Amino acid sequence: MISFRPKFLRGFTRVSVLAAFAALPFLFPPVAPAQSDIPIGVVMPITGREARPGQYQREGIALAMKEINDGGGIYIKSLKKKLKVREVFYDDGSDQARSSSLAERAMTSDNVIAMIGGYSTALGEAESVMPDRYKTPWITPGAAASSIFSRGYQYAFGTLSTIDSLGYTTGQFLGSLVDQGKLKKGLKIALAVEHTDHGVDYVNGIKRWVGEHSGYFTIVFDEQFDLGGTDFSGILQKVKLSHADIFLSDAHLQDYVKMQGQYLQAGMYHQMISYGARGPEADARKALGPGIDYIFAGIWWSPDLGYAQVKKFDTDYTAATGHAPDSWYAATAYEAMRILAQAIEKAGSLDKTAIRDQLRSGELKHSLLPGQTLKFGANGQAAYPFVIVQNKPDGKVDIVFPADVATGQPVAPKPQS
Amino acid sequence: MNAPARPSGAGETGGTVLRILRVAAPLALIAALAVVPLVDFGANSAKVLFLTFLWTTTGVAWNILGGFTGQPSFGFAVFYGLGAYTTALGINGGLSPYLTFPLAAVVAALASLAIGLPTFRLRGPYFAIATIGVSEAVRVIMTNLQFTGGASGYRIVESIPFRQADHYYSGLALVVVAVAVSMLVRRSRFGLALRAIRDDQEAASDSGVNPFTAKLAAHAVAAALTGAAGGVYARYAAFISPDGVFAFQRSVAILLMPIIGGVGTIWGPVVGGGIYGVVEEELTARFPEFHLLLYGALVILIILFEPGGVMGLLARARRLFSRRKDASWQPS
Amino acid sequence: MTFTDYLNLLISALLLAGTYAAMAVGMTVIYGVMKIVNLAHAGFLMLGAYFVYELHERAGIHPLVGVLLAFPAFYFLGMLVHWVLGRGIPVSDEPTLASLLLMFGLWLVIQNIGYLVWGTSDRSILTPMTFATLRFGEITIPKIGLVVFCGALVSLVVLEFVLHKTWFGRSVRALIQNRYACRIVGVHVEHIARMTFGLGIAFAGAAGGLLALLFPFSPDFGRPFLLRSFVIIVLGGLESFSGVFVGALILALVETFSILVIPSSYQPAVSFSLLVVALIFIPGGVAGLVSRVRMRARRAA
Repeated sequence: MISFRPKFLRGFTRVSVLAAFAALPFLFPPVAPAQSDIPIGVVMPITGREARPGQYQREGIALAMKEINDGGGIYIKSLKKKLKVREVFYDDGSDQARSSSLAERAMTSDNVIAMIGGYSTALGEAESVMPDRYKTPWITPGAAASSIFSRGYQYAFGTLSTIDSLGYTTGQFLGSLVDQGKLKKGLKIALAVEHTDHGVDYVNGIKRWVGEHSGYFTIVFDEQFDLGGTDFSGILQKVKLSHADIFLSDAHLQDYVKMQGQYLQAGMYHQMISYGARGPEADARKALGPGIDYIFAGIWWSPDLGYAQVKKFDTDYTAATGHAPDSWYAATAYEAMRILAQAIEKAGSLDKTAIRDQLRSGELKHSLLPGQTLKFGANGQAAYPFVIVQNKPDGKVDIVFPADVATGQPVAPKPQS
Repeated sequence: MNAPARPSGAGETGGTVLRILRVAAPLALIAALAVVPLVDFGANSAKVLFLTFLWTTTGVAWNILGGFTGQPSFGFAVFYGLGAYTTALGINGGLSPYLTFPLAAVVAALASLAIGLPTFRLRGPYFAIATIGVSEAVRVIMTNLQFTGGASGYRIVESIPFRQADHYYSGLALVVVAVAVSMLVRRSRFGLALRAIRDDQEAASDSGVNPFTAKLAAHAVAAALTGAAGGVYARYAAFISPDGVFAFQRSVAILLMPIIGGVGTIWGPVVGGGIYGVVEEELTARFPEFHLLLYGALVILIILFEPGGVMGLLARARRLFSRRKDASWQPS
Repeated sequence: MTFTDYLNLLISALLLAGTYAAMAVGMTVIYGVMKIVNLAHAGFLMLGAYFVYELHERAGIHPLVGVLLAFPAFYFLGMLVHWVLGRGIPVSDEPTLASLLLMFGLWLVIQNIGYLVWGTSDRSILTPMTFATLRFGEITIPKIGLVVFCGALVSLVVLEFVLHKTWFGRSVRALIQNRYACRIVGVHVEHIARMTFGLGIAFAGAAGGLLALLFPFSPDFGRPFLLRSFVIIVLGGLESFSGVFVGALILALVETFSILVIPSSYQPAVSFSLLVVALIFIPGGVAGLVSRVRMRARRAA
């Protein structure tokens, strides 16, 4: 027979007293103020593994917000006045659980009208649960995995084209090099990708192109590695053992830098090297110097695109942040904020579902992005062409594909050092 | 960690009132907590409380093995994660969530047997290190397992719309069960056997306790509760990944709570869980960079100055207070 | 898989073994004498890496000189830490939970200090030789790997010298064997314990500096190496120094050659699994195994 002896509840009384004190703040919930501005949630990693790109994306959003507010804000028809946008920012530290928790917090406690967040597929996938749950529009400028947009979510949008297309475009680019006679036919490809949906999509895109164009390339190695690891010598050894001609990887920025460093230390060589959507980043240049020459990347935007609005963005961004745009990160975030502002204005109110409807049907003209128009597809994901850039010596970067936006000639095969 | 017995003469006049209070107080607290989602305190407050319930459950569970039995595991995340994935697979497979929670507990308990059988031969720090190895190995395996999504994580899709109250009450029920189990274990012969093992395993074995089976049983109970907590979490988050639920940081957090609150006591892990839940939420949002510093410093201070944690501090304060109040009372 | 491929793998494994051995020695020293499982070892590895990095970045000091400087710097740091935390570091013959948790708390604090001072992004130490390779026909040896291996070897030789040829070293070995007997023969246990802790941390710092030459590092740098150090020490035998060499060699060989049979993404699990297997089936490590075999042989004779 077990009875509740008061002795064991002695500690409980102490705990209850503590709990009572701790509960006091909850008894006075914050009073919601009258709508005096438009809170936009921004959850980006500015610490942790994805800190660098997260920082760039935040800068892009901040620049767009500043431009909007300099013009007085967004005109809301239902309130008959212009309201400025206000950033409600949280750093998720590159941690998935935290990212989703902070997104939830922004949508509940902070009552944001919409949210921009989720740099990198992992963080994007975690956050993507929240928009439909709280019926708040959410745009990710940094996550492109198809798994996010194949769930039938109604409030999730993404300004990045699919990774599958990235893989396919990479295949197209390599195929064009064969057609130009720079590469021989029948070369062997080694694929070493991160073991996430991102990597899987990339491989699918490449395999699709290779399958459609037989005789061009054969894939002799196809394996995945652990994201965020320190030591890639294992997979690099295997790539070495496969005796391939072309090395294609898909990795995040830090893994790219580490892996390429170990690649060079192992004295490896391939005719063409790519790390998916990473290549020209300043961090890589700083860490590896000439070690990243001739690496090519398929990216969503380049500062060297010839459009007038791109040149203006380059100037404004450099003035606001003190450094030139580094690869594509800031641009897709900037456009996300701009298309959101456009949708809010078209909706004429701060009703989240109305804004969502406008995002669905709307189109951002004179966009920075390749093709100059940003439009979300039926599943919420944007679709526009990629550009292939290649690192050249002395820190130069050239757009080498497609030909109509190219700023330089591709170099293939990579010169032996 | 019991306060010294007071002579029955002291305070008898208020005794009955006190006794009623002591039974009513826990019920009152539970009632108060149960009312929270109905009053509009804001969805975030309810979420913070909900998460606190879950953390507290894992802390209370860990304490059964680490505190009562003296076998500190540094790898409890493995049960949390297994519970999370069991529930996730179960819900996506069409089971009712309320069925998947006990299922998660069972899976975790079975895993604890598989882990405990080889590792309980080891003592003290060796056991702790082995548990890290096991947890990390499982994490890497889950990261590679394609049918649970691998490193990309696994998404739970529920056909019913999201109602925060459902999750909240699951969490509340779970933590009440956990504390009740903890009290039951402590109060029973089984709890006595565990304490004996903690104090001196050889002597306990000489006194007729089978340390091996006792440890396995404690491990199973602790794992079951932790697995259930993982399951309840998974249903709420709707998206889990190996690097989230099997993370070493998760194992660390689970053991930090009882240590901060008072390892080996019943209410210590509850206090620790409460502190952790609230601090974690605010810290994550406002000062994420001081996380580890705070907990690390707390652990160091606790080990150096008050190994009994917060409960130890309270006991000390109470002794100080009662010594002043009742001059005739002599320490036994 | 040609013969040269195998040879390349073997060379990689050997170079790795040297580094691993240096990394694990610091932990063995502290465990052997004080029976403390130093979880903060990871933190000191990280600090060692940043120490060498900062000297290189700000004062232009060559990383190898930096590693040399790390020895005395971390020796004193170790002694300081031991003095401050002395209360909680019990001097006993059995490892205790309290010391385990204390070191763990220390690790968390060190890690956070690292984040506050240096942020979260990766740093690397780049020198002209970082990407240079030596080629002998089809065999490639990264120069930096060779340098680190030699550095590790030298430090281990120095340790052996200290342990066997100095009075301090003899005291340490005596302390490992029997604490009470030490007092009887006049060894000042507390002082030797403090100096030993300092020595262990010195090796941790220097090893961190060496590892920083091979891998990029961030404040979380120590963790994978911490677990590997456990594996090595357990494999080799928690109280034996020669065991550390053997443990490092076994781990390096298994890790390197395992890629031939398992997919690369499972590689991290190799060290963890080895740890669990070693703890359960070979509790005394290889050194224990060897001594058991020797005893059996002696009995049979």
